[in-house]
Amino acid sequence: MNNIVFIFLAILTCGSALGMLITKNLLHAVLMMFLVMFGLAGLFVMAKADVLAVSHLMIYVGGAMILILFGIMLTSKRDILGKNLLKVEENSKLFPLLICVAICFGWFQLINLSKIGFELIPDDQSKLKQVGFLLTTQYSFVFEWVGVFLLIALVGSTFIAKKDE
Amino acid sequence: MNEIPLEAFWLISAFLFTIGFAIILIKKNTLFILMGIELMLGAANLNFAAFNRGDTEQQGIIYGLFVLVVGVCEMAIALAIIIQTFRSAKLRE
Repeated sequence: MNNIVFIFLAILTCGSALGMLITKNLLHAVLMMFLVMFGLAGLFVMAKADVLAVSHLMIYVGGAMILILFGIMLTSKRDILGKNLLKVEENSKLFPLLICVAICFGWFQLINLSKIGFELIPDDQSKLKQVGFLLTTQYSFVFEWVGVFLLIALVGSTFIAKKDE
Repeated sequence: MNEIPLEAFWLISAFLFTIGFAIILIKKNTLFILMGIELMLGAANLNFAAFNRGDTEQQGIIYGLFVLVVGVCEMAIALAIIIQTFRSAKLRE
């Protein structure tokens, strides 16, 4: 049962990512990225990281995707000649794809060669309690600075995006 | 409940990372490149989550949360820059 769900999620994620690479339409790519993010959240659940799965779902599917859709809406030009302006131009494909296939197979080879003995701790409990405890005790300083970082990013992005007279 | 081996997560994460890299190299649109970067961050996070299973102190999950925050900040600022460059390009026409 576990394996079947995992294989389904893996096919969903990898297939949608491949679709993002193949398609030239920006809007199709955004919709496929929705699927990739859903699949990734499911894979996080399979990796027993429920906190990460929920936050990933909330931040990416809820926030970042809407942001990208707004970006597309605000930057699409007016259609004069009736052609599809969401089509994206591409560089020549041969050389980048060769590089990427080489990287991918190199990685697979590395995975094959490495024999890390990593014992998995069977633990079906939710990790929310432990992670919340750690964030407010051991990692509280980093947590505060993440808040400051978010504030800086928000102020900076509104400053950049404002209309200057 | 049988555990899913670590290698399966590695394979998927390597695949996603390379596809994100390919998108960055091939596409000529800034929004597309942004999405490729998000794919790469997601792949890295998947590795963190997979390795976290052998850790009692949950370091992988906490690091993954911070990676998530940095990715979202980067996306917000990049979209602001995209909108501003679009505006200035429209003014120049």
